[in-house]
Amino acid sequence: MKKILSVLTILFTFSFTSHSYSKTEIHWWYGNSGFLGDVIIEIANRFNASQDEYTVIPTGKGSYEDNMAATIAAFRAGDQPHYSQVYDAGAAIMVAQVKNGVVIGFEDMAEKYGIKVDADNYIPGIKNFYADSDGKMIGVPFNSSTCLMYANMDILKEVGIESVPKTYEEFEAMAPKIKAAGYIPLVQSHSPWIWTENFFSRHNLLMTDGNNGYDAVPTKTLFAETDAFVYHWKKVKEWYEKGLYAYKGRAWGDNQAPFIAGEAAFWFGSAASFGGMKGVVPNFTVNHIPYWDSVTGGKEYPTFIGGAANWILNGHTEEEYKGLAKFIEFMGSPEMDLYYHNMTGYSAVTKGGIELAETINFYRASPYHKAVGEQLSLEGSTIPGGYRAGNWPQIREVIYENVEPMLNGKISIEKGLKNMDKGAAKLLKQFAKTL
Amino acid sequence: MKKVQFKSNYSQYFFLAPQLGILLIFLYWPIIQTFRDAFTMQDAFGFGRQFVWFDNFLFIFDDPAYFIAFKFTIIYSFVITLVTGAIGLLLAVNANNVMHGKSAYKTLLIWPYAIAPAVVGVMANYFFSERFGLLYHLFNDLWGFNWYESVFDSYIYLLIAGSWKQISANFIFFLAGLQAIQKSVIEASIIDCKSSFRRFWTITFPLLMPTTFFLIIINITYAFFDTFGIIDTTTIGAPSGETRTLVYKAYMDGFRGLDLGSAGAQSIMMMLIVLVITIFQFRYIEGKIHYN
Repeated sequence: MKKILSVLTILFTFSFTSHSYSKTEIHWWYGNSGFLGDVIIEIANRFNASQDEYTVIPTGKGSYEDNMAATIAAFRAGDQPHYSQVYDAGAAIMVAQVKNGVVIGFEDMAEKYGIKVDADNYIPGIKNFYADSDGKMIGVPFNSSTCLMYANMDILKEVGIESVPKTYEEFEAMAPKIKAAGYIPLVQSHSPWIWTENFFSRHNLLMTDGNNGYDAVPTKTLFAETDAFVYHWKKVKEWYEKGLYAYKGRAWGDNQAPFIAGEAAFWFGSAASFGGMKGVVPNFTVNHIPYWDSVTGGKEYPTFIGGAANWILNGHTEEEYKGLAKFIEFMGSPEMDLYYHNMTGYSAVTKGGIELAETINFYRASPYHKAVGEQLSLEGSTIPGGYRAGNWPQIREVIYENVEPMLNGKISIEKGLKNMDKGAAKLLKQFAKTL
Repeated sequence: MKKVQFKSNYSQYFFLAPQLGILLIFLYWPIIQTFRDAFTMQDAFGFGRQFVWFDNFLFIFDDPAYFIAFKFTIIYSFVITLVTGAIGLLLAVNANNVMHGKSAYKTLLIWPYAIAPAVVGVMANYFFSERFGLLYHLFNDLWGFNWYESVFDSYIYLLIAGSWKQISANFIFFLAGLQAIQKSVIEASIIDCKSSFRRFWTITFPLLMPTTFFLIIINITYAFFDTFGIIDTTTIGAPSGETRTLVYKAYMDGFRGLDLGSAGAQSIMMMLIVLVITIFQFRYIEGKIHYN
């Protein structure tokens, strides 16, 4: 008996191990955590359950910055994953790496391995953000957000405001009322992203020379010489001094906290914050980010895509890329796209996903999921749908460094914006040297 | 006298090999790499590397943020050294005089030393959070404390976060130093002088000088290099990069900004700074110390 048992055990162990080894492993690194990270794991689990040839192994590396640094370090050590999530600010760096054979472009991959979800399947605005200068798609669109305005309707009702502001002029008019009732009118979570990059796209203004880097390698940012931008920051400072806008440091969550606690009427954040806020904040709405009526003449322009794309890294076997192709196809299916859109609040990225949402009347049940897609697909913009500027993670640092002294009055707005331009120009020049 | 010597001329290398191997791999190889990075420019993935002479150094000297980090590092290491040394000494002298429950005091005072800087930072975060931080609200009531806007307040935040753990290190070494002083010297001084205050400054403290000197070096090294985890979990450099140490700035530029050339140049500058400080200490301070 004992003998039989041990033989069985050995057989079982053997069959088990041989089974798991026969699957091809595909490594996917990501830079989301908390709720968003859980959804990524769920996507991989669903793929793994849907077939039994391949196993996708998702590994969270911390923040976007952490994941990008980890991916680069892994590549330099010859140990890179197959698929890695890199954020908007890193897009220029990743696109530039196709020629060095680090990154395999999505369109090349789709052609070679016959991925059914081809480039045309993705929404044009999102597609172009991760494409090279010829419009060829390099990154695979994944979590695509943009900045949106969250409003606490209970506070607005209490002070007798009926509708949320469409423009900054409207906000300015209603903010003192909100303050008088003892609330913070406005908090905002990411100055370089919301009030710099997206300020330019929202008002149809160019942010750098070289047509935002799409026509030529950019050499400077246009912060101080864009009158509307100077005007905006003067207004922000004025609001800050009057207590109409509160700044809570650099951390995303610290600025979001007053809104979650019901102390602030409006919060500018990411579309992706929606999933985590459902059920936590009682009565909130998701709206387009305001714009200056005086700048655009009443017209509303789209914002840039935020969030991240997945990038295919070179250096693995045919078999593994076949599996990755299957996984990309799986993620690009209408059902998965809508699942992700619904869970997180990120935009649907495929035409199929949006069609499916329309067919099942998804937006009637959940109207606030619509704001992100709507704002991203606004038309009439004459500037590119993104920016190709290298060293952008550091330029964001430079922006932050100057926002703080501008707010507390250590330096004037003009000086602050000039400092940003100066710092950015140096970093752009540095990046151009490595191309 | 019998001479003990190995016959072979090579066996010593065999015994040295493991240690030399570790030094080569973990010390010299990275240093060579750092020099290579500092004098070249490359993209994030290491392509297009080209020799640029001193461009990376010129780049950092042209960067106001670098001098802000330099200023902060100097101020921070000076204040940390002074504050942690003084409090550590005070605690050690008192713990040494305690009659009952001596080991309980000692153990409790040594504990924080075992905590990793990043964990200290996370704990400090709770104390200085605007939403529920005890110290934030205490200081805010006193003088309108707000660390993400006022440079002075952020210094206070980091001083408290950074010195707490280091006080324990100072305490341990001062206590050991106090216990190493011969009883006979202390007894003789008691006969000669009534004032315990004067006895301490004229007899005990000079005898503690080797320990003090050692701790000054340890504390400066700590403030330079080990506070990285604390800064990364507390101010992240706010306001406007005023609370970045040189190490933290090199990390931000190298790993966040992916500019290894600039980070390499900053590392070499840091090496030079530490070299200068160490030479200064051994030249001018050590000469004034009496070892037993």
